[in-house]
Amino acid sequence: MDEELIGFFREPCSQCSVVNWGVTEEGGYYCKSCHNVIERTVEVTDPSCVTGSRVSAISHGAKKPAKQKHGKDWMVCEGFQFILKQQAEALLAMGVRPELKDDILCNFWRGYLHKSQQAYTTKPLYSVTSQQESDSCPESLAASELSCLSKAETESDMDGARSTISGWSSDGGRLSSVCTEALDSSLYCSARERRMHHLMTMPMTLAFLHLSLLWLQEAITLADLLRFTAEGHIPYINAYQNFPEDMKLFGRDALIFRVESLPSYKMVQEEAHNLAIFLDLPRFPPLTSACLLHPSLLCLRYLMELNLPDELHVWVCWVMQQAGVGKDTFLTYDPWAEKSGLLNYDILASALIVVTLKLLFKLDDQQEWCLSNSADDENKQNQDSSIFCFRKWYKTVQGALVVAKEAEEQAMARKSWKSQKPVYPSMRNKSVVIKRRRVVEQLQAQFQKLTGSDPQPRQDSPSSFRLRWGEEDGGGPSYQGRRLGSAVKKRKGSARPSNPTYWHTALSSCKPRSEKSESLSVCPSTHPSIHPSIHPPILVRVMGVPGAAAKQHTV
Amino acid sequence: MYATCVTLKFTRRCGEAARIADRFNRTVRPSPALGGMITNGCMLKSFKVTEEKGNPLPPQREKKPKTSPCVLRCGTAYGNLLAMDDISAEWMTSPVRDCGSDNDVSNDDDDEDDEEEEPIRKRSKWPDLPIPAPWYGETSKETGFHRSSRLCLNQIRECLLEHRWQEAAEYLISYFQTLEEISTPRQLLATEIIFRLGSEILHQHPNSKLEDVNHFFDLMKNTGVRGYLKISLEHSFHLLLTGNFDDAVRQLTTAESWRYGKQSAVQADKMKLIHAYRGFLSYLSWISKKGSSSEDDDGDVSAIQEMHTYFRQACISLQEILKLPGVWDPFVVGYVNMLEFYNDHEGALNVLKEYAYDSRFPPNPNAHVYLYRFLKRQGSTEKKQIRVLKILGALVPSHELMLELFSLLLESGTEQSLKEALDVLFNLLDDCSWKHSVAAWTCFRNMIKLLRRKKLKHLLEEGWETRKDWWPAFHFRTYHARADFQLSRQLLLMKVVVASTLVGNKCMYCRRKNELENEREARRMIKTHKKRKR
Repeated sequence: MDEELIGFFREPCSQCSVVNWGVTEEGGYYCKSCHNVIERTVEVTDPSCVTGSRVSAISHGAKKPAKQKHGKDWMVCEGFQFILKQQAEALLAMGVRPELKDDILCNFWRGYLHKSQQAYTTKPLYSVTSQQESDSCPESLAASELSCLSKAETESDMDGARSTISGWSSDGGRLSSVCTEALDSSLYCSARERRMHHLMTMPMTLAFLHLSLLWLQEAITLADLLRFTAEGHIPYINAYQNFPEDMKLFGRDALIFRVESLPSYKMVQEEAHNLAIFLDLPRFPPLTSACLLHPSLLCLRYLMELNLPDELHVWVCWVMQQAGVGKDTFLTYDPWAEKSGLLNYDILASALIVVTLKLLFKLDDQQEWCLSNSADDENKQNQDSSIFCFRKWYKTVQGALVVAKEAEEQAMARKSWKSQKPVYPSMRNKSVVIKRRRVVEQLQAQFQKLTGSDPQPRQDSPSSFRLRWGEEDGGGPSYQGRRLGSAVKKRKGSARPSNPTYWHTALSSCKPRSEKSESLSVCPSTHPSIHPSIHPPILVRVMGVPGAAAKQHTV
Repeated sequence: MYATCVTLKFTRRCGEAARIADRFNRTVRPSPALGGMITNGCMLKSFKVTEEKGNPLPPQREKKPKTSPCVLRCGTAYGNLLAMDDISAEWMTSPVRDCGSDNDVSNDDDDEDDEEEEPIRKRSKWPDLPIPAPWYGETSKETGFHRSSRLCLNQIRECLLEHRWQEAAEYLISYFQTLEEISTPRQLLATEIIFRLGSEILHQHPNSKLEDVNHFFDLMKNTGVRGYLKISLEHSFHLLLTGNFDDAVRQLTTAESWRYGKQSAVQADKMKLIHAYRGFLSYLSWISKKGSSSEDDDGDVSAIQEMHTYFRQACISLQEILKLPGVWDPFVVGYVNMLEFYNDHEGALNVLKEYAYDSRFPPNPNAHVYLYRFLKRQGSTEKKQIRVLKILGALVPSHELMLELFSLLLESGTEQSLKEALDVLFNLLDDCSWKHSVAAWTCFRNMIKLLRRKKLKHLLEEGWETRKDWWPAFHFRTYHARADFQLSRQLLLMKVVVASTLVGNKCMYCRRKNELENEREARRMIKTHKKRKR
């Protein structure tokens, strides 16, 4: 009887913040852990009473009808469907074309469910008993066509699926009063099963998004996607918090949906590639030059972000042409081609910029400073600063980068990872988990009061650009309008870089004992300072070194 | 009295909390035992170690035998808990204290988890350089959540070190989520860290009120029941610091009666401490009662009775704790003080002797100091006093009481005791904290005179033999003469006598002294000349 009474009252104890109430003979509440008797009033939601009236003792007539507290039965893939839907909606809110959700992602998702035999199939992966298989939901779903559905249809579909699931489970007499886990979460917990059936994981939701964005040729690169996720613009951490009321997480579900770190770039890319193969996707439509993901336009965006002169763009395009990375055949993705892989458009664009800078300024720690000196001289002569000076640019950007990095670290330090609604690993731990959550909330409230700080820090709206130049509160002066000056020479009617050679440690021959210091004689190809993502294939290919290109596998 | 002791503790806490944060960063694998063993834990730990190994000397003392008169406090972590009036004076005054003690305290704290995990660091003591410590590494498997909490802890540490309380509190808001850590060891560690950081920030933050602090402590107590008693103890310290003596007593009384399944049995060690401090607070009440009752001599019967109740309460608890090996300086002092008041000199002497000579107890110079002072108060024989001081001298050759030992030995006057007195002096002046002490050098000068008179100059040779290769550089350089002259002329004159006897008349020190004297003379001449002119 107590249990029923206490069921209403879930407030933490003011003394010890435990929710462990007992009812005294007089009908008063006391805390079982610290024996603190409280005076409380209940707002009884009894239809017979006037709503909102306050009653100071618990009357037995105020009992609610025994309601199933655990919610409906559901499948894990439904949870992921919900998360994907939310993520897609977040992307749409950012201005991505609406086809993403209803066309592309939806189709991918259905294809995935079908291929992994979770739905739209006669042989579903998960079945409770053979007897129940006959009227299970996947069959009913299988009848529906694999066609493009509008949002409303998707939802009704989801509802339908859920109702069927709960329908047969109640028929089957499954003991559902204790456990509210997703029905098939046990499947997801074994790594072998997960691999065998290609089951969903949280990073895979990002892989789905990435593939859809790529298919749609939207201007969001994978790096952007990950950044938006990290900044919380795309629901990922604790995405399960927003599940509908009747989808309750419990126990093993936590292992599936709880996120304690963001996946790496490489991981998402691999997942996406595996997914594309699994879904048996055809060749992706090649990028057109008008599309923002095209290296030419992406480079322009990065040049702006890097505060480099627009004049460089011509050179970047030239390098792109020379390297042959601007062609249609190159700028696509075919999961089934030999040695295929997803193109890193963002890395490709940054590599193009780096190579261009190296072509123009050599960047061997000598030439670029010489050119900076002559740019300074020219600027002095002309009494203006229209010529791009590498040294000034370096100092500006370096300063801004340091500040940005610090800010990023601080943001990381303040990042909140834990959910408002914790998932209990088991019934036994439920009270402990709830208590901890309450303590954290109380402590946070106390310190927020102490510091007078805002509980919800404001979020910046998502933006492709992180550094701003030439504005008052930006990172520094803008160099976009500057000319390249003496870095470029007119020769035989066409412009050429004044720097004659391309300097790159990986391309210079390895001299084990040079006359210079010992440290310089380290074989340059293993030099740690070269960023692994930039140096080998692209550069070699760009430079058109025949022997090396044959050895290294091309992008 | 308690105010001073606790103030000390808390003045040191700022650095301590930062260091704790730092240390948690360093620990490669958090040990669950660490959770309960930060401050008071070490007190009990220290005697546990001695019990097991039967090794009476803690490592610190072997390393730095002669740093300063406060070697004891430096060498023991419990200094920060048990700092008491006489100890505190030295805490305050000794310049060597800071670096030495900090190192040792942290070493002592670390004993438990370091022994197996970081033997290398153990060998090479922490340098006092601001080198970023290798920490809880950034591994490839580190989750984003752990990375966040690591960075957050670093930020808080920086803020604490720079006294930016507001910012630290803001970061702490984000850090609270580590309480929801899934793995138990990490969760325990988080409770400990949050408790330390939170109480420190609340203590220092300009906006914090006593209610906030109480609320925080209550929350923490009930969150980490494994640290309930420790947090209660800290809570009472905090209340003492803010002047709420009665609340502190209440806190300890509640803690005494705390029962929580197996948890209270596990924390039996802490319970002993709680009892001891409860007794100590009774002693403090006793003192205040004594003070007030002696003012009005009428001798109110009820007041005397109350005083006696306090006395009994304190006696029971203090007796209990004194049976356990450990360093219980304030408790011993209090207990002896009460026994003396009630004229139980025999009992007091026994307690002190037990405390000083029981081999289970870690060697503690203060124990001998207390015994000596007691004997002196009681007017016991010089022989007994000398015996106690000699033991003290063996432990701490540079102790300030060595001058008293010197004069005692001198009084007895035999050749043997003269030799010993000379040794005492030599040992004393080996320590750099006595380098500029006029008293010590005056004693030396007198000693030389006495030896000359008694024709026992050969005694000097023995002590000098081992020191002649380093004392001239240590004491008798030209710049020493200049520095000494600036400090006091008296010092210079005393040292010259010693230098000329030991090193010779033509040593650098003496020559420089002559120059300085001449200069002084010349200056005086000029002055008088000018005066006369006027």
